Amino acid sequence: MKKKVKAAVSLLCLCMTLAGALSGCGKSGTDASGKIVVEMIQYKPEAVAIFDALEEKFNATHDDILLKIDSPNDAMTILKTKFIREDYPDIIGIGGDINFSNFLDADLFMDISDYEGLADIKESYLDINKNLEFVPKEGVYAVPYMANAAGILYNKDIFDEHGWTIPTTWDEFIVLCEEIQAAGIQPLYLGYKDTWTCLAPWNAIAVDLAPADVCSQVNRGDTTFAEEYREVAEKVKVLLDYAEPNPVAYSYNDACTAFARGQSAMYTIGSYAVPQIKSVNPDMNIDSFVFPASNNPEENLLNSGNDLEFMVMKNSDKKEAVYEVLDFLYEDENIQMYLDDQGAVPCKKGDFELPAILTGMKDYIIEGRSADYQDHYYPSEMSVDAMIQTYLLDDSENALDTFLNKFDTDWKRYNRDVITKVQKYMDEHPDAE
Amino acid sequence: MKEKKVNDKKRTFLLITIPMVALFFLFNTLPLIRGFIYSFTNFRGYGEYDWVGLRNYIDLFTDARVGKSYLFTVKYALACTILSNVISLILALGLNSRIKGKSILRGIYFIPNVLGSLVVGYIFGFFFTYILPAVGQKLGIGFLSSSMLAGTGTAWIAIVIVGAWQAIATNTIIFISGLQTVPEDVYEAGAIDGATGWQRFWKLTFPLIIPFFTINMVLSMKNFLMVFDQIMALTKGGPSQSTESISYLIYQNGMSGGQFGFQSANAFVFFVVIVAISVAQMRFMNKKEEQL
Amino acid sequence: MKAKNERTNWPVTILLIAGCITVFFPLYMAIMIAFKKPSEMTNDIAGALSLPSSWSFENFAEAMRVTDFCHSLGNSLLITIITVVLAILLHSVLAYAIGRSMANSKGYKFIYYYIVSGMFVPFAILMMPLVKQTAQMGLDNRAGVIILYLVFYMPINLLLYTGYLKNIPMALEEAAYVDGATTWYMFWHIIFPMMKPMHATVAVLTALAVWNDVMTPLVIMGGTEMNTLPLAQLNFQTQFGTNYNLAFASYLLALLPILIFYVICQKQIINGVATGAVK
Repeated sequence: MKKKVKAAVSLLCLCMTLAGALSGCGKSGTDASGKIVVEMIQYKPEAVAIFDALEEKFNATHDDILLKIDSPNDAMTILKTKFIREDYPDIIGIGGDINFSNFLDADLFMDISDYEGLADIKESYLDINKNLEFVPKEGVYAVPYMANAAGILYNKDIFDEHGWTIPTTWDEFIVLCEEIQAAGIQPLYLGYKDTWTCLAPWNAIAVDLAPADVCSQVNRGDTTFAEEYREVAEKVKVLLDYAEPNPVAYSYNDACTAFARGQSAMYTIGSYAVPQIKSVNPDMNIDSFVFPASNNPEENLLNSGNDLEFMVMKNSDKKEAVYEVLDFLYEDENIQMYLDDQGAVPCKKGDFELPAILTGMKDYIIEGRSADYQDHYYPSEMSVDAMIQTYLLDDSENALDTFLNKFDTDWKRYNRDVITKVQKYMDEHPDAE
Repeated sequence: MKEKKVNDKKRTFLLITIPMVALFFLFNTLPLIRGFIYSFTNFRGYGEYDWVGLRNYIDLFTDARVGKSYLFTVKYALACTILSNVISLILALGLNSRIKGKSILRGIYFIPNVLGSLVVGYIFGFFFTYILPAVGQKLGIGFLSSSMLAGTGTAWIAIVIVGAWQAIATNTIIFISGLQTVPEDVYEAGAIDGATGWQRFWKLTFPLIIPFFTINMVLSMKNFLMVFDQIMALTKGGPSQSTESISYLIYQNGMSGGQFGFQSANAFVFFVVIVAISVAQMRFMNKKEEQL
Repeated sequence: MKAKNERTNWPVTILLIAGCITVFFPLYMAIMIAFKKPSEMTNDIAGALSLPSSWSFENFAEAMRVTDFCHSLGNSLLITIITVVLAILLHSVLAYAIGRSMANSKGYKFIYYYIVSGMFVPFAILMMPLVKQTAQMGLDNRAGVIILYLVFYMPINLLLYTGYLKNIPMALEEAAYVDGATTWYMFWHIIFPMMKPMHATVAVLTALAVWNDVMTPLVIMGGTEMNTLPLAQLNFQTQFGTNYNLAFASYLLALLPILIFYVICQKQIINGVATGAVK
């Protein structure tokens, strides 16, 4: 009988120690061999392979630092969950969007104005980050790495075969779609089951038709979305006529696969989709053009924003090691490696070879005729992507008005705190614009 | 001597109870209280926050998205509860009758219950996206020919089917154990009275298994109100936010949407709703039982 | 008369056998897809449901590599086993202390209702504060998940154990006291072994719930490279892309352990679920 008690108690102890030991494996600044561990989380799922390669290359050439790059699925949720837990990595790689604004506003980033590499970054991309600040803040908090360009990707082989030309106005675009349809080919394939993909054509059209700073204009009370977005919303819906039936049934992956297999001639998405498409059909001949949403070709702008930039977390105590990692990532050779794999636009000055798929957008990139994604200013909890999806599914007559009104009312609610913040700042700094 | 025993007993019991209650308080009651406190802030989950008073609660009642998620969750829970209980009652009657291979059949019908609902959701997701529409197109059935998960009117039905598919297994087992408590002589007495089939079921069997019915209603309703895994696997709340359950909304907007404070308020209201529903349900069922 | 009664009801038997299709069809589909090569797949009925041209385990090997299967399986097993063992040990002794004192102590009665009412608190409600709290306590790991499970299943297990205790007569304990045994000794030697049927129920219910749970590990350990089996499926969705063959191989792998366990302990599991609910 005694034995049984002992057995029970020792089992209990075993479990406790096991549990204790498990909790022991956690984070520490240095690993067993005494190297400084730099943890980095980047949010682009399509860039997993290239970051694995960069990580390997870095660790092979550095004896004192161990770089760990993590690219989790649904990275933004993971990242925010980590922040809630106050478990910060050293570097994060995210896009220049509202999340950046929020993190910055929460004072999570380190001021890296003293980072020498900043001198090599193109001014325009650094400016985008300044625009994303809710209220102006001293210092530099992010180094842009790659920009992307969104518009329309097209299957060059199909286009060449039929002799179709690139449209420069909305009317030409519609004529083109009709022609493609007449040839028995699906003009567009959309993956609206993943709501965020609804934003791709939305952004591309919005940069052409709405002012670039529409969000701050609305925050100041100068205009309404109902006014600025009416035409954008109308045109987004027109695209449905040229897409596969029921696009809400198919995901981003499905759409990429369909486009890669030649099931559609065009795809309204950004350069970031190219790796996914090429994974299905590596030999595909893809090119791109700027979305011609306006009938005045001069008004049509390239939709381009900071797709990936790096921030150093404020409480990282390994500044030197972190800068060394950044230096490594910004070496020309490594940037080219990333470009070849991902098809993006580098933010660093220099003579890089642009990927072939951006040929159609090259002039815009060089001339700087571009504007940032408008959704980078939308609060994520407002779920504009789902609102657009709802609107696209809404067949009723006043769908457009319902959508625009909701946009305006929801905007006020979700931006309440930001609007107050801006108001307060304006009161304190009356000379600021 | 006796005194000592009593003291030993009391001391031992206290030594056992206090740490466990402390643990329970620490990981159940305390977070509940903390959540309640957060619900009065505009906390994003990180960074600083301000007290906003009752603003979150006021917003909650005017927020169309939250309202929609409540409607969906209740609709889903009701449909699932009814569907799964009706089917499992029929199934239980069948499995409890004189059939061949009784235990094997029972074993088979129980399988869905042990499978993880997330993975089941993924498998059904494929079925609804590719197989069912293909079948629908072949047979020329209009509403089936496009993916159920893509229609705002049909997506919830697909989730109900998956939810019920898994829940039927448990409910059936409970009904069977209920039916086994019905003594054989009740039937014999019924047979003498000339009661047959349907009549026999309503008049004789059903009243005797009412308690098991209660259990099933209460258990499944509560589980269905918590629905999360299926949503995560099948629709992620789409299309048009038409299948966002309350749990999913709290997770999605609270954790990644920067609405930590607002969703805390939502969670607290949800808690009150759950308690109210459970209590009402038990009261109602108790009364029914007493009447019978 | 008797002979007539015992005749097999063939129509019902056949209907029930036919009904098994609803259970097997999704599994059949999963197996067929998992064994096919992506090139054999077309997104229609024949493409998905026909037999693969050759039975190769390539997809499974690949899925194991991609989702780090062994690791997640290890985590799932570890978490489930420790939780179940601790639940049986701790919850039974707690139920004993509360159950035996409840009748003549208001305090214990209050504690009983306090803990049991915890059943009404769904995880979704505690989730956000718990994420913060566990992290602050350094419990954003497997140990934290186990502790949380012990707390979450405490109400139901307490209910089950105290219910069962009522059937164990006090006389036994009093006899042991006369022999000079301590309460502690007596519980582990007399009461604990007598609660064996309930241990089985508790083990089954806790194990099923823990094994299949997604939400708790998702929010507590998400992003820490610690995956349980279901969590791995969620986290690797993007890696599967449109390679449904790979995805389904991974799904099957995730389902396999519990299916094997079910085939072996089918009776105990069904009984466990039934008693757990009815009590």
